[in-house]
Amino acid sequence: MTDPSEALASANAAADRLVRAKRLNACITPPRELRKSLVAQAQAAHPSGVLYGMPVAVKDVICTLEFTTTCSSKILEGYHSPYEATAVAKLKAAGALIAGKTNCDEFAMGSSTEHSAHGRTLHPFDKTRVPGGSSGGSAALVAVGAVPAALGSETGGSVRQPASLCGVVGIKPTYGRVSRSGLVAFGSSLDQIGVLGRSVHDAARVLAVISGRDARDSTCEDRDPLRLPNVPESLQGFVIGIPKEYFPPDLDPAVRRACDRAIRLLKELGAAVREVSLPHTPYAVPTYYIVAPAEASSNLARYDGARYGPRFNGAADVRALYRSTRGEGFGAEVRRRILLGTYVLSAGYYDAYYRKAQQMRALIAQDFRNAFDRGVDLLFTPTTPTAAFKAGERLGDPVAMYLSDIFTVTANLAGLPAISIPIGRIKGLPIGGQFIGQAFLEDEMLEAAYALERVVPATEEA
Amino acid sequence: MAGPAGTGGPGGAGETSGWETVIGLETHVQVRTLSKMFCGCSAAFGDPPNTNVCPVCLGLPGALPVPNGQALKLAARAALALGCTVHARSVFARKNYFYPDLPKGYQISQFEQPLATAGSLSYLSPERGLATATIGRLHVEEDAGRSLHDRFPGYTAIDLNRCGVPLIEIVTGPDFRSPPEARAYLLTLKQVLEYAGISDCDMEKGSLRVDANVSVRRPGDTVLGTKVEVKNINSFAFVEKALVAERDRQIAVLEGGGTVEQQTMLYDSKANTVRPQRSKEGSQDYRYFPDPDLPPLVLTDEFIAEQQTLLPELPAKKRERLVEKYALSVTDAAVLTADRAVADYYEAVVHAGADAKMAANWVMTEVLGDAKDHGAALRVAAGALANLIGLVRGGTLSHQAAKRVFAEVAERGGEPRNVAEALGLIQVADTGVVAGWVSEVLAAHPTEVSRYKNGETKLQPFFVGQVMKVSRGKADPKLVQKVLEEKLAS
Amino acid sequence: MSVTHDDVLKIARLAELDVGEEALPLLAEQMSRILDYVRQINSVPASEALRPFVPGPDAAHFRPDDVKPWPLAFGPEKLAPAFKDGFFLVPKLGAFEVPEA
Repeated sequence: MTDPSEALASANAAADRLVRAKRLNACITPPRELRKSLVAQAQAAHPSGVLYGMPVAVKDVICTLEFTTTCSSKILEGYHSPYEATAVAKLKAAGALIAGKTNCDEFAMGSSTEHSAHGRTLHPFDKTRVPGGSSGGSAALVAVGAVPAALGSETGGSVRQPASLCGVVGIKPTYGRVSRSGLVAFGSSLDQIGVLGRSVHDAARVLAVISGRDARDSTCEDRDPLRLPNVPESLQGFVIGIPKEYFPPDLDPAVRRACDRAIRLLKELGAAVREVSLPHTPYAVPTYYIVAPAEASSNLARYDGARYGPRFNGAADVRALYRSTRGEGFGAEVRRRILLGTYVLSAGYYDAYYRKAQQMRALIAQDFRNAFDRGVDLLFTPTTPTAAFKAGERLGDPVAMYLSDIFTVTANLAGLPAISIPIGRIKGLPIGGQFIGQAFLEDEMLEAAYALERVVPATEEA
Repeated sequence: MAGPAGTGGPGGAGETSGWETVIGLETHVQVRTLSKMFCGCSAAFGDPPNTNVCPVCLGLPGALPVPNGQALKLAARAALALGCTVHARSVFARKNYFYPDLPKGYQISQFEQPLATAGSLSYLSPERGLATATIGRLHVEEDAGRSLHDRFPGYTAIDLNRCGVPLIEIVTGPDFRSPPEARAYLLTLKQVLEYAGISDCDMEKGSLRVDANVSVRRPGDTVLGTKVEVKNINSFAFVEKALVAERDRQIAVLEGGGTVEQQTMLYDSKANTVRPQRSKEGSQDYRYFPDPDLPPLVLTDEFIAEQQTLLPELPAKKRERLVEKYALSVTDAAVLTADRAVADYYEAVVHAGADAKMAANWVMTEVLGDAKDHGAALRVAAGALANLIGLVRGGTLSHQAAKRVFAEVAERGGEPRNVAEALGLIQVADTGVVAGWVSEVLAAHPTEVSRYKNGETKLQPFFVGQVMKVSRGKADPKLVQKVLEEKLAS
Repeated sequence: MSVTHDDVLKIARLAELDVGEEALPLLAEQMSRILDYVRQINSVPASEALRPFVPGPDAAHFRPDDVKPWPLAFGPEKLAPAFKDGFFLVPKLGAFEVPEA
């Protein structure tokens, strides 16, 4: 696309598709406002940009100037950010169109997009089920083809898990690859902006544009630009590790079948496949559910009704203002995590919980390093333990919901890049398989993903 | 509320009617940078409210901190000036608490791994002579904004201009044994930090703030008493008063048979008392943890070495050197080195050729006097002052006349000799002219001349005075005396 | 080791979060459950010397001391729920102690 009229056509077509996808409750920007903005953006976009005219939806935890940023929370109802995220600025500089904000779990805390002040998002193929979370809105929109790509965010798998459940591609970059400036913080040492796309190519193109050093983020590294590899003819020379802890005896047989099929295809592509062990894997979810809430409890302390956002009035003094704003403005899951996080940081518990959890992270990261040091280039695992579950099914027991992240949190804890691609269907519902790569070697990971994507029967039953 | 201060005994004594006072000080100093600690907003004082703000210091969703290298340089330099060990690796930590002027709900500070530890500062204790304060730690943090409680009734007004300005926190051990001692340390600390160019340490502007920990015990006791924190001390003078008030309060409690409760007191300068901060529910739990938005602070050997070279000669060393080099008294050296600019000025005057002792007197009296009335400005250039002093030394100007010339040069500039001539103040040292005046006077007072010649030598000053009168003060008094003696002898 | 209603209230106070009486029992139960679950990390021995792992750069990069404010699309007065004469306004301190200078 190089022509403003093409961009305009793209803008209107996207607006049309997003209107048709309304029933999913995935896009939270009102359609009229969205169309108006898309058209205006199409007229202003840079024609020489590599993403010129491409509509990209943005998860509502990422700050944009065009639309409100609510993080799907009442406490940020109607909040207009006076600055935009670096990733969004880069998309626009590349000529992309910001195609509205997508629904998510409140402050990115959840695995089903059910914990949202805007209501839940429906699974694209089965409205009784969840699309996954927290980037469920982004995944659903990409799955129905409303947009070719969308930005999501990852703290414990929130891009890959919904990608797996919705049957799209989801990429989590290495920690420090993409600037977090403008990503509303949840778990700062885990958070990364990621990309959902209908193909590895689409998602990777967008990732390449949003990556890079940013003077506004001290945790963003100065690295060579992300290299987009060509689709390889074969995977000769690749050594792919299969960590046995991700294939426990009680793994859903259909998930196992889908993964086995994918692994067979990897071998047929010429990769050497080898079993490895990441012994501290069982401790990943508990570790995550100490570190992430702890950091969240501190990151969310700024939401108090004093300087922005709605104020829940009638407060007699400032402490009452804080308590009522936060008590009423946060949903149940966020409140629970803030309380949990405050607890594990508090006097008397810090050493046993937070400090210990950070040490566990070192052991988990060491497991990966050991595997990679022994000649493994990439790891291949299931992305999620099941296909999409029913709405409401896991709301009763928080730990049950947390276990949806069992295969994804390790990459966040270790700061490693990972990608989920669709590898099959289970009773008609999509299921994904993921590659976990070495730090800052996304290109190798993408090569393997491209190769597998070409041959895996993603729409066939496992 | 405690009673007014002064009921326990004099402010000066370390032991007050059978009690030993133990004081530690925690000082917060704003370091002199142009921009804030974690963002590019201006760190200037006094701008209209909320005009130096951005997403970072406003605590907006998604904004991240990026550390100011100059702030870290100044912090390292301050640590070196205080004899601390500067750690190559230190960590930023979040101090979590809620307050209206703390927009993120946490302050970025340092906790388990601070920038520097184990320093010391020598100071002159009014009671014990030369004493040493131990500096337990010096770390870097960001300032909070300002809350104004009386501006709008029923509301607190918040200005976030100050939020994010770089601070260093300097913590002593329980080293001070009296309020005056604590104040003396604080003034020395201010002096050292000013010398090193770290800060202007102005308590009125808030660039230096101090909190104190106070406890009392029986002399000879090795265990420390319960310590009470004292806050809201807004000037150097109030430091001493607040500490006296708290010390006396604790003594009164203990002598009344009670126990001292661990709490925080606020100093009320109007009533000169301390009162408890309205109790919070339970004590504060800051839940410190390393800030995940900031990688570790790593200072290379070169970085630290550079700050060491940028350290000027510090006050104590400079005092010693002036005493030795210029044979000044310790007191005079102390006055001259109180301010670094003055010390540098003094040495410039001497280097320009002035006699060291005369220069010392001139700087301490005329120069500092003039500076006091003109916003600390040293209005007469060092070279000019040296010339002026030379004129006095050489007898061309009397001391009195020179003072007039100084005032003139300070106000309107000019070269001292020219100004003196223009004012007609040059002393006449021409023997012939002086002899003429002496003859005139002697001729006009024959009775006194006879009396002198008959033994009333005490009349000499009378004659000198008359010559000075006749010459309208221009005669060189020493020469007058000489000529007089000669003439009267004949 | 379970979390009591008092524990929840204490933590809620630290977190400046209103928790209604009726929510206490469920919260206490859920927090106990979660803490029981995460506590299993204590069964893994880890030497005291093991340095915590944090991804990202090894050292912070320093910014030059330039006054280069980040431009805002609009000023604080448009963000604030209550703003007057250039100041953010919140209800008076009340339950907070009279502050530090």
